[in-house]
Amino acid sequence: MSASESTESNIELPWEAQARKAARPCPHLVLAWSVDEPARIGESLAIEGPVCLGRGGPLSDDPAPRGVLAKVRPDQQLACEPIANARISRLQLVAEPEGDGVKIRSLGRALMRINGATVTEGVARHGDVVEIHNAAVFYVCVRPTRLPQLSTWDAEHTAPFAFGGPDPFGLVGESEAAWALRDAYAFAASTDRHVLLLGESGVGKEVAARSIHGLSPRSARPFIARNASTMPETLLDAELFGNAKNYPNPGMAERAGLVGEADGSTLFLDEIGDLPEKCQVHLLRVLDADGEYQRLGESKTRRSSFKLVAATNRPVASLKHDFLARFVHRIEIAGLDQRREDIPLLVGHLLDHAARKNPTVAARFFEVRAGARAEPRIAPNLVARLLRHPFTHHVREIDRLLWLAIGTATGDFIGLTPAVESELRDSATSEQEVADLDRETVARALADNDRSPTRTAKALGLKNRYVLIRLLKKHGLSVSADADGSDA
Amino acid sequence: MTIDAKVLRDTLEIALTRDDFAERFYARLFAQHPECQPLFKRNSAGAQNKMFAQKLCAIVDAIEEPERVVAEASAIAKTHAEYGVRDEMYGWVGDALVATLRDANGDDWSDEAERSWSAAYEALAAAIRAPRAG
Repeated sequence: MSASESTESNIELPWEAQARKAARPCPHLVLAWSVDEPARIGESLAIEGPVCLGRGGPLSDDPAPRGVLAKVRPDQQLACEPIANARISRLQLVAEPEGDGVKIRSLGRALMRINGATVTEGVARHGDVVEIHNAAVFYVCVRPTRLPQLSTWDAEHTAPFAFGGPDPFGLVGESEAAWALRDAYAFAASTDRHVLLLGESGVGKEVAARSIHGLSPRSARPFIARNASTMPETLLDAELFGNAKNYPNPGMAERAGLVGEADGSTLFLDEIGDLPEKCQVHLLRVLDADGEYQRLGESKTRRSSFKLVAATNRPVASLKHDFLARFVHRIEIAGLDQRREDIPLLVGHLLDHAARKNPTVAARFFEVRAGARAEPRIAPNLVARLLRHPFTHHVREIDRLLWLAIGTATGDFIGLTPAVESELRDSATSEQEVADLDRETVARALADNDRSPTRTAKALGLKNRYVLIRLLKKHGLSVSADADGSDA
Repeated sequence: MTIDAKVLRDTLEIALTRDDFAERFYARLFAQHPECQPLFKRNSAGAQNKMFAQKLCAIVDAIEEPERVVAEASAIAKTHAEYGVRDEMYGWVGDALVATLRDANGDDWSDEAERSWSAAYEALAAAIRAPRAG
C-alpha cells in the first residue's frame, strides 16, 4: 500500500481528544487537618512519582523532589506555599506510587499512623488516613491530577467563594464529586425542565434545590419549599393549586397554592416519594409543558410557569412511572462515601455555623487571633475517625456527631469522647475479611445491587468502590455483566 | 560569633518534639516578667503558641538567607511596635527562649548550642530593633 492509501488519519475526533486530555488518576494526599495551618485544609498533593514532604523549601539532601500542595479546582491548579507547620519536620515523608496506592516512609520526628496503626513505612490506598502525630492528617484518594472540565457551571458568572468554603448556594466541597454536582445543578438550572433529586437522607437535597434555583434565571423570585410528606391527602389539591374566595366554605380567603406561588420561580417538594401514587396523579397535568391547573372552586384554567424540583430518598421505582417520566433531569446526589475528602471541610463549616449561633461554643472551643474568632480546637483523631466512618445520614450525621462531641467534651477542645467513639465505626472491613470474601459472595452482591460498584461495595461492607475493584480483579470479575458471566 | 545553622535546626527539632514547647516558653517568660502578659491578649493562648512556634521555625529555616530573616524581623518589628513591646523585652524573650530550649534538649544541649542560639537571637533582636532605631 502506498503512503497516500494509508487508512491512518491525523484528524482527532472530539471524543478522542476528550479521552486524551482526561488526566490519568493517581493517588493524592489531601490535607484533612493541620494544627498550625488550618486554612490549608483541602489542599492536595498528587503522587505521580517519588516526592518529599516537609516544612519549608527543598533541602540539599532531599531524596526526591519536593511535593507541592495545590488548591485544585476544575478551572485551576494553584500551587501553594511550602508547609509552615512547626510540628512537621523539614523532611517528614517520602511518598511514591505503588500499585493502586502510595508507599509512604516517615523520616520526620513526629510519629506516622496509617489508619490508626503506628508505622514507619506503609502503603496507603484510596480511603486510608495518614496521620502525622499532632501535626497533620492526610486523606488518601485516587483521582485525576486535573479535575474534569465542567460543562455548564460558569465560574466567571458565579459569585466567587473561598477554597474549601461554602459556594454561594451552601454546597461545601472541593472533591471531584462535589464539582460534578455543581455542574449537574447548573445544567438542570439552565433548562425549564423539572428535576428529580435522588439521594439518601442528609446528603443535601435542599442545598441542591437551592443551588438549582439560585443558578437559574428564576433566582430573583422567592424559592418555595414544602415537605410533601406533611401535606394531608385530603387537602393536597388545595395546598398545591389553591382555592377561590369563599370556597369550599364562606369566609375562606383566596389562596394561590404552591403552584401559583411558584409562578416564575422554583417549587421544591421534598420527600415526594412519600406521596401516595394516587396523589402523584394530581400533579401530572400541571407538570406538562403548559403548567395548566385550576384553583379549587374556580372554573377558569390558570397557568404557572414553575419549575418543580422534587426530592426523594426512596428508589426511583417506587414512584409512579408516568409521574417519574415528567422529570427530565434526575440527579443522584453523591453521599459522603463518594466525597470523603470533603468531610474535614464540612466539619469546619458546621463548627463555624455552630459558633456563629452559639457564643458559648465559640468562646470555649475556638482560638482567637487578633481579637477575632479563628479556627476550632479539634482533635486530629476525631477528624481521622470521621474520615473512615460509614455515614448513613451524611452531612446531618456529621452535624449530630459534632454536637455530641461538643456536648460531651470535658476540656476546651472538640475531641473523640467515649460517647462519640461509641457511635463511630470503621468503614474499612479488615484486610483479612476482604481477603476472605469469596468469588460467589462478591458476584452475588454485584448482581443484587444492579452491578453498581458503589452500592455493591457498601453491601459488602467495603471501605469504598476501589477496594471492590481490587477484589473484582482478584476474582476475575467485572462490573459489566457480560465480561465475566458470573451472574448469568 | 558564628552561628551553626545545623545546631540551631537540630536543637529546635528536638525541642518541638514536645507538644508544649511554646506553652513552656510563655509560662517561663510570664513568670519572670509578668508585665509582658497583657501584651498577648489579642490572641488565645493556643493561637499564640502556634504562631510563636511557626515564626521560630520560619526564621531558623531561613537562617542562611539574610534577606528572608530581615523580612521576618521587619514583620515582627511592625506588629510588636503596635502591641507596645519595649526594647528591653527582647532581652527577656531571648533569655526565656534559650532557657526553654536548653530544658527541652536536656542532655543533648551543648555549649555550642548555647552560643549559637544566643548569637542568633541577638542578631535577630538587633534586626527587629533596627527599623525603629532608623
